[in-house]
Formats: sequence, C-alpha cells, structure tokens
Amino acid sequence: MGDVTGRVPGGARDQRLASTFVALADTLVADFDVLDFLGLLTERAVELLAVDAAGVILSDQRGGWRPAAASSEHAHLVEVFAAQTKQGPCLDCVRTGAVVTSADLADERRRWPQFAPVAVSAGFRAACAVPMRLRDDVIGALTLLSAEPVAIDDASVALGRALADVATIGILQQRAIRHDEIVAEQLQTALHHRTVVEQAKGVLAELGGLDMHQAYTALRAHARAHRRRLSEVAHDVATGALDPNTLLSDPATVPGA
Amino acid sequence: MEDRLQRLRDLLAADRLSRPAAAVRLVCERCLVELSISGAGATVLSHLPGVDSDDDRLGRGLVYATNAVSAGLEDLQLTVGEGPCLDAFASGGPVLVADLAAETARWPAFTRAACDLGAAAVFSFPLEVGVVRLGSLDLYRDTAGPLTRVELADALILADLATQGVVADLDGHDTEDVSWLADPHVEVHQAAGMVQVQLGTTTDVALMRLRAHAFTHDLPLAEVARRVVGRTLRFTDDKDGH
Repeated sequence: MGDVTGRVPGGARDQRLASTFVALADTLVADFDVLDFLGLLTERAVELLAVDAAGVILSDQRGGWRPAAASSEHAHLVEVFAAQTKQGPCLDCVRTGAVVTSADLADERRRWPQFAPVAVSAGFRAACAVPMRLRDDVIGALTLLSAEPVAIDDASVALGRALADVATIGILQQRAIRHDEIVAEQLQTALHHRTVVEQAKGVLAELGGLDMHQAYTALRAHARAHRRRLSEVAHDVATGALDPNTLLSDPATVPGA
Repeated sequence: MEDRLQRLRDLLAADRLSRPAAAVRLVCERCLVELSISGAGATVLSHLPGVDSDDDRLGRGLVYATNAVSAGLEDLQLTVGEGPCLDAFASGGPVLVADLAAETARWPAFTRAACDLGAAAVFSFPLEVGVVRLGSLDLYRDTAGPLTRVELADALILADLATQGVVADLDGHDTEDVSWLADPHVEVHQAAGMVQVQLGTTTDVALMRLRAHAFTHDLPLAEVARRVVGRTLRFTDDKDGH
C-alpha cells in the first residue's frame, strides 16, 4: 500500500483496467462488503487514472454528505475528504450532478475559500469530482486529487465516470433496483460500518502504537487473508470478539506495509 | 440539511419544555406528528450492559410506544426473535418495509402477527454508534406505502436525536452537541477505540468517558477526541488526562 503506486503507461493501462474490472466484479458476488469494495475502487482509481489520491463520499440522506472510503487513510488525506463534505469540487459535483474540475486549487480561493487552502496545504493542486448517479439521483461522488497543478486529462475523467458507475452498482449490491428503500438501507449501512471501522482502528492504533493508516491496513490485511468482510473484522476487534493482539501478531497482518 | 436538523431539534426542545419526558418518548411522539405513520415505538437501553454482556436483544430495555399497536410490535420482535428491528441491528442500517404483507418469507412469524396487530408498513431505525447498540426506533403505518424521501430524511434525523437522547440519559450529560453523531472527521470514533484500550473497557464506556471529559472541561467532544488521537490526552482509570 502507501505511496508507491507506479503510474501505468499506455498498453499496460488497458491490462490494468481489465484486471481492475475483474477484481471489482469479483467482490460484487455474494455477500460482499461495500466499504471494502469502495476502498479497492479508490486504490485502483489512483493506479489507473494518473492521480495521487481518490475518495468516495456518500449521501447521508439527511441532506448531508459523509466520507466513505479513500485511497489511503493518512491523516492529511482524511482531512481533505472531511473538508470537502462542506465545500469544494465534490460538494459542487453532488449538488449539480455534473463533473467538476479544477486545474489549480491554488487559484480557487475565491471559489472555495475554506476547501482550497486545506487541499493545497495537504499537497494537492488539481481536483476532479465525478458524480455517482442513480437515475435522477446523485448518491455520492468519486473525487480524484493530483499533486501537480495540471488539469486531470479527459481520458482519466472518462475512466473516472466508469468507476463511479461501478461504485454505484456496488452500493446497490447484486439486488435488483426495486425500491429506493434498498438504496437507503445500503447507504446507511455503509456509513454505519465506517463508524465501526473507525472504532476498530482506534483500538489497533492504541494497542499496536500504529497511526490510523497502519491500523486500517492491518484490519484490511487480516480481513483479506482470512477471507472475511472488513466490517465484520472491525466489529469483532471493537467488541473484543477477536483479540486485537491476535490480529496484530498475525503474520498475514503487516502494519505499516 | 442544517435547517431540517435545526428545525427538528428546536421542536424537540420545545416539546421537552412543555412536558418533561425521556428524549426517546418525545422523539416517538414527534415522529407521529412529522411522518405519515400510525404509531412509533422504541426499545432502548436503560443502563450500560457492561463487559460481560453480549445481549443483542435489548431484553432489559425500556419500551416506549405511542399506542397499543406499537407496544405490541416492540414486544413481538423480542418474543418471536425476528423482525425489522433485529435486522436493522444486524445490518446497522434502517429496514424499510413499505408492504409488510409481501415479506412473509423474510420473517414468517413476525409478519403474520404484525399484520394481525394492524401493521401494513414498518420502518425500523437502529440507534447505534458503531458497535455501541443503544436501541431501535420502530415506526408502523396501518396502510401500505413507503416513506417519502423527505420523511426518510426526517426519520433519520429523529433517529439521530433519539440516539443522542439515549446517550445523554445514560451518562447524565445532556449537551446540545450532536455533531459527533455524524462527525465527518471521525476522530470521535477513533478516540473511543483508543480510550477503550487505555481503560481496558468497552466502546460504550469509552464513549461515555470521552463525553464526561468534554462536559467537565467544557470542551467540544470533537476537540477532546482530537487530543486523544493526537496522543496528547490519555485516559487512566481514575482521572482523565495528564
């Protein structure tokens, strides 16, 4: 994990793209975990789209927005994604349903007086937010951030749209789009799981002397190695049903990798 | 969004002034006014279950209901051991059933008995803060049909306010600060996990201790959480901090 996701040039990108959709489709079978799925999607978005960070926010269905997944759980990125639930390209995107871009956030202090300085000081200069649309609704957005002050290219935006559509399908799981109710239930469940994951991260961070990104990585590595859902492992860690010491000493769980 | 939350919070505050009652009771009554439902009920924890309990059924909970049907529905889920409220607990999200009669396969015993009681649609909202289970808010209507989108938003907000009310009743610190429930900075929840390790306790107790610290030091809960996550504040068994 971490910051060593090499950019993929040319033809290799096609292969990488194919493998991404296979991996995402793979997680869509049976009883999968929405958070795990969105985490994978944001990581792959970074690799594929020549950007430095990606994140998903979801509607809280009370009229607000909450961060659900990010390509890394490092504090500076978490701060940016928290900030953009209040203002910024992402919020403009979910409000208008259109793609919102900025080629240089340093020039956007008038457009986004609170968000732009937070993003710039966290090391991000360009942004692109793509809506997650379900019929006439916007249920969330995929945001791409780049450290270079250069517009995110059209091909990446187009791919970002495809990934955002896949993310929307993921929220719906494999169930038919019968009712608005199902969307509402899934969104709320995903946000609930996010809270559980945060609690479990706290437990592991305290016990193992880890930062929050390392704690998240440890949780996810354990879940993957044991073929369990991320939110289940997080629940068991937070409730003590799974001894967090066991998880931290598990050779499959490598904090800080 | 702020407007909806603010409006409902103000209404509940006014309700409470006119007739002092548990926050959850007032939320149930407010649901009846705001939403197209026939009754509202809730089963909530009256005290923290403690470390030895993994009681998911809230067997020792307090029950509130705006009418006999709601009371019956609260009772029913515990007796038959299935139903929307228990599913809401399991998933962590609401369970919204616009046409209960169509769900016999999902909950055979509950559905039959609930329809007999007079429910045609049921909407259950878990009152939870991550792994901290506090209760459920259960709405029913005597005719089938979904909640509108605006009603759903209000119901979610009212469930948030009920959650806040249960926590306040449990720890005795009735603060107006509800932002932590949907804190996009998520540090409150990370801090709860850290403090539970520091104190060798459970997440619910850790959450209460964080709130108590915020209350006694007159700080926003988010600020207390930030200090814990930043490792400038630790909790010990007797005294917080230092």
